[in-house]
Amino acid sequence: MSRADVRLDNVRKSFGAVVAVNDVTLDIERGTIFSLLGPSGCGKTTTLRLIAGFEQPSAGEVYIRGQRVTSVAPYRRDFSMVFQSYALFPHLNVAENVAFGLRMRRVPRGERGAAVKGALELVKLGAFADRYPRQLSGGQQQRVALARAIVVKPAVLLLDEPLGALDKMLREEMQVELRDLQQRLGITAVFVTHDQEEALTLSDRVAVMRGGVIEQVGAPREIYDRPVNEFVAGFLGASNFLDGCVVSREDGVALVETAGGRVRVVAASAPVGAKVRLAVRPERVRMNRPGGDGLSAQVRSIVYRGAVTHYYMDGAGGSLLAYAQNAAAGDWEVGDDVRCAWDAEGGVLVAPEPT
Amino acid sequence: MNAALSVGRAVRGGAAAVAFVLILAPILIVVVTAFSPTDYFQFPPPGLSLRWFVEFFRLDNMRNAFTLSLELALLSATIATVLGTMGALFLARRRGLMASLLQSLFLAPLVFPTIILGLALLLLYKTLGVPVFPGLLLAHCVIGMPYCFRTVLASVQALDPALEEAGQSLGAGPLDTLFLVTLPLIWQGVLSGWLFAFIVSFGELNTALFLSGPGLTTLPIEIFSYLQFQGSQLVIAAASTVQIALIVLMVAGIERIVGMGRIIRSR
Amino acid sequence: MNGVKNLWAWALLTPPLVVALALFVIPLLYLFYISLHTTSPSEIYGSTLTLENYTSILSDSFYLGIIRRTLATASAILGLCLLIGYPVAYFVALLPPRRRMIVLLLLLFPLMVSNVVRAYGWVAILGRRGVINTGLRDLGVIEVPLDLLYNVEAVVVGLMTILLPYMVISIANTLSAMDRRYEEAAHALGAGPIRTFLHVTLPLSTPGVASGMLLVFLLTLSAYVTITLLGGPRSKLLVSMVYDSVVGFQWPRAAALAFILLALALALTGVILAILRPNRIQGTGR
Repeated sequence: MSRADVRLDNVRKSFGAVVAVNDVTLDIERGTIFSLLGPSGCGKTTTLRLIAGFEQPSAGEVYIRGQRVTSVAPYRRDFSMVFQSYALFPHLNVAENVAFGLRMRRVPRGERGAAVKGALELVKLGAFADRYPRQLSGGQQQRVALARAIVVKPAVLLLDEPLGALDKMLREEMQVELRDLQQRLGITAVFVTHDQEEALTLSDRVAVMRGGVIEQVGAPREIYDRPVNEFVAGFLGASNFLDGCVVSREDGVALVETAGGRVRVVAASAPVGAKVRLAVRPERVRMNRPGGDGLSAQVRSIVYRGAVTHYYMDGAGGSLLAYAQNAAAGDWEVGDDVRCAWDAEGGVLVAPEPT
Repeated sequence: MNAALSVGRAVRGGAAAVAFVLILAPILIVVVTAFSPTDYFQFPPPGLSLRWFVEFFRLDNMRNAFTLSLELALLSATIATVLGTMGALFLARRRGLMASLLQSLFLAPLVFPTIILGLALLLLYKTLGVPVFPGLLLAHCVIGMPYCFRTVLASVQALDPALEEAGQSLGAGPLDTLFLVTLPLIWQGVLSGWLFAFIVSFGELNTALFLSGPGLTTLPIEIFSYLQFQGSQLVIAAASTVQIALIVLMVAGIERIVGMGRIIRSR
Repeated sequence: MNGVKNLWAWALLTPPLVVALALFVIPLLYLFYISLHTTSPSEIYGSTLTLENYTSILSDSFYLGIIRRTLATASAILGLCLLIGYPVAYFVALLPPRRRMIVLLLLLFPLMVSNVVRAYGWVAILGRRGVINTGLRDLGVIEVPLDLLYNVEAVVVGLMTILLPYMVISIANTLSAMDRRYEEAAHALGAGPIRTFLHVTLPLSTPGVASGMLLVFLLTLSAYVTITLLGGPRSKLLVSMVYDSVVGFQWPRAAALAFILLALALALTGVILAILRPNRIQGTGR
C-alpha cells in the first residue's frame, strides 16, 4: 500500500441511470505499467478519467502517492496524460507543446529549454522542435504527446488508447519503445486498451474489465494461463471450452468426465460431483494419432497462418481448436481422426458465463 | 426529359438574375446618387461630385449621428462579444434541459421582434431614469450578444475537448486554459461575432427608434427623420453611402485577418 | 475541487445571464404588466388592472382592419419571397463552391446595410422624381408621374427585396447540405426530374424553407421604418399603430398592441411549423 502510486478505493461512477464504474478497487505499484483492458463500454476509460480527475466518482476515493485527491481538480493532481487523439496544441510548435507543462510549473526558461530538448531526444524527435503538429505524421505526433507528458516527471502517466490510431507495424514498434522508456524513467504508467495483445506485451499487471467491474487482475502470464472465468479466458485469446463433471480428486488435480472422455486438470477447489467448465488454450492441445492419448475428434478444416497452423476439429463435447507450430507439425488432413490431449497444467476451470 | 432540365435551369437562372437586380439595384442607385453634383435627385447623375459628402460632414446633426452610431457600435460590439463568449464557453460542453433553456434564452433576441423590445426598454428606462446613451448602449448589447454567442459556440464546439483536458493534465487551471489554449484557438469565431454585432448595431433601427433622444440620434434614425420630413434628399444619399462604406471597410478588414470562408460559414 | 470548478462556471454564466434577464426578460414582463393597466395622463400607467386595452383593440373594426391588412401584406411578401427565393436558392446551391461563396457574399452584403438605406433606395426608384417615373417621362410614355409610392404594394415590393436574401440563404444552405444521393436514388428508381424535385428535394428542403419563412415573417411584422417610408400615412400596419401610440404617450395601449403583434407572430409561427413540420427531417440544414 505504501508503494502504491495510485489507489482506487471502492470507486463508483454513474451517469444518470448508467453505472459506468461499479465498485472498483485497485492498487498500482510505483514504477509499474498497469493496463485496463476490456471491450468498449466496459468502463476502462472512465476509470482512467477518474484517476485524472476529469470525472468525479459518485462514491469512493482516489489516491495518488498516498494523497487523497478525490476532490482535487485535475490541474492540481500530479499526473500527465497522453490522449487518444494526441491533443497537441495546434497553435504551438513541437517545442512549445512539450514545454507547456513546464511553463505551468513555473520552470525557468533555461531549464525548460534543456528539459524539452532532452525529452524530444528520448522520443527521437530532436530535429522537429520547430515544426507544427499539422506538419507531423501520426506516429510523430504520438511521440510529441509522449514527450510532453513525460517531461514534467509526473507521479503517474496516464495513456488513453495511445497506439490505437497507428498501423500494425508502427504500433508494435511503439509498444517496445514505450516499455523501454517507462523502464528507463521508472514512471508509473496506467494505460487503457481494448487490444489484448498490447496489454499482454506492455504491462506488468492487467485488469480485465467488463460492465464497470474488474473481472480479474494479475500479471499477464497469470491471467492468460489462469483466467477465472469464461469471459476473461475468451477475451485474452482463443480458448477451447468443455463442460464436464468432477469424478475424482488427487493432490490438487481433478479428473473431469467430459462428453469426449476423461481429462485431468489442476484445480485447487472444485469438489467431486461439481459441474465444471474447462478452458484449454489451442496452443496447449497436442494432436495424436487415433488410439493415442486424449479425446477423439475429427479434423473439419485447416487454416495455414505462417508460423502456425490452426486445426478446427469436431469432438464429442463440441468443437476443438488446436494451434500447431509448423516447424514441428505432423501432416494432418481434413477428415482425419485424431486424439487431442494436453497436460493437467494446460487446462483451467473457469466460471461459466450465465446463460 | 432534357426539356424539363433546360426549363428548370432557365427558370432558376432567370429568377436569380431578377433577384439580384431587385436586391442590389436600390443600394447601387443610392451610392451612385451620393456622388451627384445636382441639387435634387437625378438618376443617372450628370457628373460626379463630393459636395454632398462635404455637406454630410458639415451638418452638425449628421456628423453627431455618425459619431454616435460609431461609438455605440464599437462599445456594444465589444461588450456583446465578451458576454457572448462567456455564455458560449459556459454552455459549449453542457447538455440537458437547463443547458437547452439557457441556450434558447441567449439566442432569443435574434428572432424576437426588436421593436417590441425597444418599447419595453423605453418604458423600463423611463421608470428607472436611465439616460439615453447608456440605454441605447445596453439595448445594442442585448441585441448583439446572440450573434457573438452563436459564432463562439460553434467555434468552441468544433474544438477537440481533449485539448482543454490536455491543458489541465499539464497543470493549467481554468484561467490559464482559457487564455493559453481555448482563446488562441477560437479567436476567429470571437472576431466574427464582434463583426456581426458591430454591423447589426451600426444599422439598427427598431430600438434606436424609441431610445434615441434630443441631440442623441443614431445615423439610421437621422436618415429616417430626414426622409420623413423631406429634408434634403441628396445628403441622405451621402449619409447612406457613408454607412455602406464603413460596413464594407469593416468586412474587408476582418476578411484579411479571418478569411471570408469563416465569416460566411459562421452565419 | 467542485468548489473551484463551480465558481469558475458561475463566473462565466452570471454576466450574460444577468444581461439577458435584466434587459430582455424583465423589460418584456414589465411591458406586459403595463399593458394590463389603464392609461394615466401623468404616469406611465394608471392604477387599475384591466383587460380593456386588449378588448378595445380586438373589438375595434379599425384595428381589426389593420390586422387583416398586416396579415395580407405579410402573406404577399412571404409568397413572393418563396416564389422567387426557392429557384434562386436552387441556382445558388448548384454553383461550384468558389462561385457559390462569392454569390453568398453578394447576398449577405445587402443584409448588412441598414434597412432605412435600402428603403430609401426604393423611394429613389418609385418616387415621383424617381428612376422609374423619370425614365418613363423621358421616353414619353407618361406625362404625369405615377403614384408608385405610399401604398401597400410599394411596401410589399420593398420588403420583399429586402428580406429575399434571408429566404435564399436559408434554403440554399439546406439544399447544399442535402445529400445528393437522395436525388440519385430517386433517379435510379425511375423518377424524372420533376417527380424527383416534388417528392424528394422539396420535402427534404423543408427545414430551410421553414426557417426562411419564419425569419421573413417575423422581420416583416417589425419593419416599421420600411413600412412607413414606402407605405406612407395611408398604409399603416400593426407595427405603425404601436409607434403611433408611443408618440401619443399612450403607453398601456402601445404595450397591448405590441403583445397582440407578438401573439400574431407566435400564432403564425405555430401554423408554419405545423404545416411544414420541419422536425421530420433530421440532420439537414446548417
